[in-house]
Amino acid sequence: MSEPERLHPTVMAMIVTRDFRDGDVVNLGVGLPLECANVLPPDREILLHSELGILGFGPVITDHTQADPYVMMVGNLPVTANPGMVFTSHDESFALIRGGHLDVTVLGGLQVDQECNLANTQFEGKPAGNLGGAPDLAYGAKRTIVLMHHTTNDGQFKVVERCTLPLTAPRCVSRIVTDVGVMDIEGGAVVLKETAPGWDPERIQGITGARLVIADDVHEVTL
Amino acid sequence: MVRPQRGRSGPLINKIVATFDDAVADIADGATVHFGGFASPFNSPSYLVAAVARQGATDLTAISTSMGRGLASADQQSRWLPPELRPRDFFDIGLLAELGRIRKGITSFAVGARHDWVYPFEERLAAGEAEVEVLGQGSLAERIRAARAGIAAFYTPVGPGTDVARGKEVRDFDGVPHVLETALKADFALVRAYKADRYGNLIFRGARTFNETMAGAAAVTIAEVDEVVDLGELRPEQIHTPGVYVQRVVVRPSQPVTSWGTAL
Repeated sequence: MSEPERLHPTVMAMIVTRDFRDGDVVNLGVGLPLECANVLPPDREILLHSELGILGFGPVITDHTQADPYVMMVGNLPVTANPGMVFTSHDESFALIRGGHLDVTVLGGLQVDQECNLANTQFEGKPAGNLGGAPDLAYGAKRTIVLMHHTTNDGQFKVVERCTLPLTAPRCVSRIVTDVGVMDIEGGAVVLKETAPGWDPERIQGITGARLVIADDVHEVTL
Repeated sequence: MVRPQRGRSGPLINKIVATFDDAVADIADGATVHFGGFASPFNSPSYLVAAVARQGATDLTAISTSMGRGLASADQQSRWLPPELRPRDFFDIGLLAELGRIRKGITSFAVGARHDWVYPFEERLAAGEAEVEVLGQGSLAERIRAARAGIAAFYTPVGPGTDVARGKEVRDFDGVPHVLETALKADFALVRAYKADRYGNLIFRGARTFNETMAGAAAVTIAEVDEVVDLGELRPEQIHTPGVYVQRVVVRPSQPVTSWGTAL
């Protein structure tokens, strides 16, 4: 029996951004989280931040003739220079992060567990890891959302009871948005709140390493 | 009786150095070096890296946010440009790893971010020819800032509960565990800036990344700049890095020099 279609990255990003509020300072990780920059509600003033020292930029620019090589976010992706944008150094950028001035960080994940721990920086088989900005972001942001595929390419669980990969940051994740649903971590349990069309809770449990608690009002994803 | 002369024939302070090779000539084997920028041809001290490669200093401890991709794939850092428009004069610290000059890396990005991306420093690590200390970028940046500011060590809430805190003092403040991190002072800091004057005052273009963070966190800070302007042209309120943090300034060639081996 083939599985139902999984959510498109654009839809996953829209699930994350629908909750952003005017004035929110938001940091987007590379990879999937970056999709969020392209689906921000146009009627809201969200201040996007990136670790290299840029705050208040707009969508990623795909036409290189329109890009300014000095207006980049992490991953060397050219972004739109919005009015009010600010450049800083790396140390100032992380003072902003660590000091609690960031409302939301959206990070990718390799594993998230029911104790809110996040592992997203070291692949198996590599001699070392890439911590990047994630440890500070996960600690400093008021809210840490992990945006990731629900399983690895070869079907391994990513939402687990206990992370087996080296931790990036302990006890930091509040919400997990995947290609099959939305989960919040509450009181040491992964609570399934929303499901992708065609995915019932039992089917999602079948590809999840942690025991899911099904929210009373669990419902199909709404945007 | 000899009296001190009042008149002077040239400027007292002049930090402009004529060539990249002169600028890095005294980097010794075993030196600890800050490498500024953030993995982009537009904010990295490429020509200083190339000069270090020519100079031959080895056994280096390299402090850099990323350990680089090396010659073969440095242009992947400008994937947003069509291949023919990507800068050909981008030399990242992967070049020094490739040449076997780096004994230790202190970094946030030690390896390729995908299984199939393997860069020179990662190869050295896997072969046991180099060692690495991996830190979160915030702790890396603050440890460098602390060196510039004369702070020996500081407690940060980032790290406890992870491998980063292993072997370090952990202490609670307001019930939150903090890890003690020490300053990262270097012998040399190589940074990239936009404009400088002869005092070594710097302004940057775009995000200032580790360039502003590292300037002043070493015994000798060397700035690679696009342009040197007359003293006074940079307005006081415009200057990002005061010249007292900078010992040498060297200006980039007006046309790209695409081979790291070319004396410059």
